[in-house]
Amino acid sequence: MAKKEQSRPSLKKIRGLQLSMIIGYAVIIIAVICVVTNLAVKKTDAVLKNKVISMTSSLNVQMKLNMDSYISRMETIGTLAFGTPEAYTYDATDPDNDEYEALNTEKAITDKLYSLCIMDNFCDYGIVYRNNRTVGKISNGTSSLMGDTMYEELSSMITRQRTHDGWCAGYKGDLKRIYYVKRVHDNAVLVMSFYTSELESVFDNPETLADMDIRLVDSDYDILYSSRDEETGRHLPRTIIERIEGNTSATVMDNAYLVSVNSCVDDWYVICSIPTRIILNEKNEMQYYIYTAGLIAAVLAVLFGTMMSIRLTRPVKRAVAALDNKASNDQLTGIFNKQTFNDRTSDRLDSSLSIERHALILLDLDNFKGINDTLGHAYGDKVLAKTGSILRAEFSTEDFLGRVGGDEFCVLVNSSPSGDTKYEDFILEKCETLCNAYRAYYSGDKGDYKISASIGVSFFPEDGSTFDELYAASDKALYSAKKCGKDSYVFYSKDESGEVADE
Amino acid sequence: MKALSRAVASAAAAVMLAQCGCAGKQIVHSQNEQTVISLAWWGNDPRTEYTLEAVRVFEEHHPDIKVRCNYSEWSGYEARNRIRMASETESDVMQINVGWLDDFSKDGTGYYDLNKVSDVLDLTNFSEDTLKYGTRNGVLNAIPIAMNTETVYINKTMYEAHGLSIPQTWDDMFAAADVLSKDGIYPLCGASKAIWLYTIAYAEQKTGKSFFDENGAIAFTPEELQVMIEFYVDMVDRKVIPKIEDFKKVKVENGTCAGAVAWVSDAINYFGSSIENGDEIVAADYTAFSPSDSGAGWYEKPATLYAMSKNTAHPEEAAMLLDFLLNNKEMALLQGVEKGIPISKSAQSCLDEAGMLSGLQYEASVVMDNNNKLREMSPLIENTSLINPFNDAANLVLYDKATAEEAAQQLYDTYAESFDVT
Repeated sequence: MAKKEQSRPSLKKIRGLQLSMIIGYAVIIIAVICVVTNLAVKKTDAVLKNKVISMTSSLNVQMKLNMDSYISRMETIGTLAFGTPEAYTYDATDPDNDEYEALNTEKAITDKLYSLCIMDNFCDYGIVYRNNRTVGKISNGTSSLMGDTMYEELSSMITRQRTHDGWCAGYKGDLKRIYYVKRVHDNAVLVMSFYTSELESVFDNPETLADMDIRLVDSDYDILYSSRDEETGRHLPRTIIERIEGNTSATVMDNAYLVSVNSCVDDWYVICSIPTRIILNEKNEMQYYIYTAGLIAAVLAVLFGTMMSIRLTRPVKRAVAALDNKASNDQLTGIFNKQTFNDRTSDRLDSSLSIERHALILLDLDNFKGINDTLGHAYGDKVLAKTGSILRAEFSTEDFLGRVGGDEFCVLVNSSPSGDTKYEDFILEKCETLCNAYRAYYSGDKGDYKISASIGVSFFPEDGSTFDELYAASDKALYSAKKCGKDSYVFYSKDESGEVADE
Repeated sequence: MKALSRAVASAAAAVMLAQCGCAGKQIVHSQNEQTVISLAWWGNDPRTEYTLEAVRVFEEHHPDIKVRCNYSEWSGYEARNRIRMASETESDVMQINVGWLDDFSKDGTGYYDLNKVSDVLDLTNFSEDTLKYGTRNGVLNAIPIAMNTETVYINKTMYEAHGLSIPQTWDDMFAAADVLSKDGIYPLCGASKAIWLYTIAYAEQKTGKSFFDENGAIAFTPEELQVMIEFYVDMVDRKVIPKIEDFKKVKVENGTCAGAVAWVSDAINYFGSSIENGDEIVAADYTAFSPSDSGAGWYEKPATLYAMSKNTAHPEEAAMLLDFLLNNKEMALLQGVEKGIPISKSAQSCLDEAGMLSGLQYEASVVMDNNNKLREMSPLIENTSLINPFNDAANLVLYDKATAEEAAQQLYDTYAESFDVT
C-alpha cells in the first residue's frame, strides 16, 4: 500500500494541525515583528528628525551669531577711527583750510587709519569727504566703482538713523565687496570694505555638514554670499524661498528640504539648507537595517518555530501512528483487520469510476479447525502469519489486504496488469500463485501437515459496485470452490440458474 | 533536542553579551585635523582673486592643510607688515619687498632659512645669482618671484591724439606737459615711491653721482638733494605730474593722465581698463637727458619675494605652500605675468607653453631685460624713512614754507639722523 494510501485520518489531522500551528505562529511572529519594526522605525524617524532639525537650527543660529559678531567687530573697528580727534574734526571741504596744513593733517589721519587696517583684511578703511578728497586707505576697486560720485554713493548706504551708519553689499551688482559706511560729520563719511570671500571664515561649517548650503541673502532674497561660489549674486532658489518666506527665525523640514533661517544685521538673513535625503541618509540606512533585522528575525523565528513544532509533534505522531496501526491492523498477520479493510475497501469502491477495474479475492484456509485441533493454536497462528506473508508477497502495496475472519482473508486488487494482459488473466494468475504457495506449504512438527486455501473472486463493476455486493459475490464463489473440493479458486459468475461457475 | 537547547542557549547568551558590549562601548569620532598656516600678500583685486583661487587649489591638493589669508592693497600694507613683524605675529608665508630683508633680517636671522626646507622647496628652478637677491649673511631668506623696475608707460593713443610722439627725454616730458595741460591732462603721474625714484634718476643723471655710495651711505649732498626737490617742484608746477598727494590711479583710467611711472608688475593694474577701452599703451624708454642714456640712474630689483616666518610652527607645510606659489604650474597659469615674467624656470616654461608670455607687463619686462644700464637697486632706497621726508621737504617748497635750499638742508639733516651720510 502506498504511504499516502496508508495515512490514517488521525495522522492527517495531526499534520493539518501542525501546519495550521506553523502558519499561525509565522503570521503572529511576522505581524509582531512588523509592528515592532514599524514602531522602532517611526520612533527613530521622529527622534532623528527632531535631532537634525535641532542641530540645523543650532548651526544656523551659530552662523547668525558668527555673522552678528563679525559685523559687530567691523563696526567697532570703524568706531576706532573716532579715536583720532582729527578724523572727525578735520573737514577737507572747508575753504578756509591752509592747504599745507591740510596736507599734513590728512597725512596724520592716514597714518592713524593705516595702523587700524591691521585689524582685518580691509579693501577700504578711510574717510571720504564731500569734495571726494580721501584720507586713509581707499582701494582702486572702490575708486573705479564709484568714480567722482564716491561721497554721494557712500552716503546713500547710510540706513540707520540712530548710529548714522549702514551696510551695503552688491553695490552696482558688484558682490566682491561688502561696505560699511558711517557718517563722520556733515561733509565726511568713514568707509570700510572687505572682500565677500572673507565671510568664508564666518560661515565655516564643520566637515560633517559639508553638504549644507550656507547663504547670506538680503531682504529681496538675493544671495550676497554662498558656500557655493557660483550662486553668489543670484536670486535664492524658489524652492528655498517658499519654505521660509515671511519667517525671520525658523527651521522647516519636509520630504525635500531642511531649511533654517535667521535674520542678522539690517534685513539680511542667514539661510542654511540641505536636501532632506542627504541629511537623513543615516535614517534611511537605519530603516534599512531595522527592516532587514526584522525580516531576519521573522525568518529565524518561523524556522525555529517550525523546527520546534516538528520536534514536538514527532513523538506524538509516532505514538498516534503506533496506536493507529494497532487499531487498524491485525497484529498476527500485519495486514488490515476486518473493520479497517471493510472501511478502506468501501471508501475505495465508492470513489471508483465504472471504467476502473478491481477484483475482490476472498481466501479461506481449508481445514484450519483441524490444524488448531491437531497441532495446537500456536501452529494455527503460524499458519495465519504465513498467510499474511504470502499475501504481502503476492500483492502490491496498492492493493488492500485484510483478515476478515478467523481463517478468512480478503484482498481488494487495485493494481492493474502490465502490457496487454487481460485483467481476468491477471487475477487468475494471482489466484494460481496463491494456491501454489499453499500447495508448497506444509506445517506441523515434521512438516507433514498439508495446508490449502480456497479462493472466491468477484470483479468490479460487473459483479457488484459496493463492498457488500462484491463480498457477497466472492463469498458465493468461495463457497463454490469449497464445494468443488477445496484447494481451488472460483470466479464468480452469474448463470441463469444463479449458480457460480467454477475454475 | 539537547543539542538544540544548547545551541539556543548559546545564541541567546551571545546576543546578550553583544548587547552588553554595545551598550557600554565608547564611541570615538575622529575629526579631520588640519595644519593651519597663514599666507600674507598685498595687491589689487586681480592679484587677490587669483591668489585666493590658488590657495583653494593648494588646499584641494593638501586637504590636511588650511591656509589663512592676510591681504590688503599696498596702501597701509608696509605699516601693517612692520607691526606684524615687530609683534611676531607675521604670517608663515609672506610676500615681501626686497627692502624688508635689510629692515628685518640684515644678519639673515629675521626670516626662515629656506635651505632647511630645500627637500620640499625646489630651489633648482632658480639660479644662484637669483637666489642672492634673497640671501642675507649667507642665509637664504627669500626667493624672488620676478624682476621689476619702475617703467615709463605711455598712452600712445592719447599722445598721438595731441600730436605728440613717445617721450624719451626729460625735455620731451615738459614739452608734452605744455601741450597736454591745455586739456587738463598730465603727461605722467606716479605714486609716491615711483616719483621718488624718478627724481633720483634725474638727479643721478644730472650730477653723475649715485644716491648711495658703495658702502650704502647716502652720497647725495644737500645741493644734490636740492636738485631732486627742485625737479619735483618743477614737474608739479609745470603740470608734468600731479602732486603725489593728489595721485589717484583712477585718473590714469579716466584719461586725466596720459602716462605713468609704475612698476613692471603694476602695468595691468594701471592700464588694464585703458587697454580694454582700446587705447594703445607702450613701455617707453627710461627717461633721460638723451635717448642714448636711457636706463642711467634707473634701478632694477626683484619684483617681490616670498619668505617664511622665522617663527613658523609648520616649516614643512609652509615650504609646501611656498613651493606651490613659486613653481607649481597651476599657480603659474593663475598668476600669469601679473608680477612680471616669473623667475622660476618651471613657472616660466609653463607660461611659455601656454602662450601667456605677452601683454604690456611682458613688454615692460623685455624693455627691462634689454637695457644694460639698469643697476641693482639698493634695498635702502625704498625705505619710507627716505621717501616721506623728501615729500615733506618738497611740500615746504611747493607751499612756499621754505626755499629749495632750506628744504634740502633740512632733508639732509633728517637723513643724517637716521642714515649714514658721506
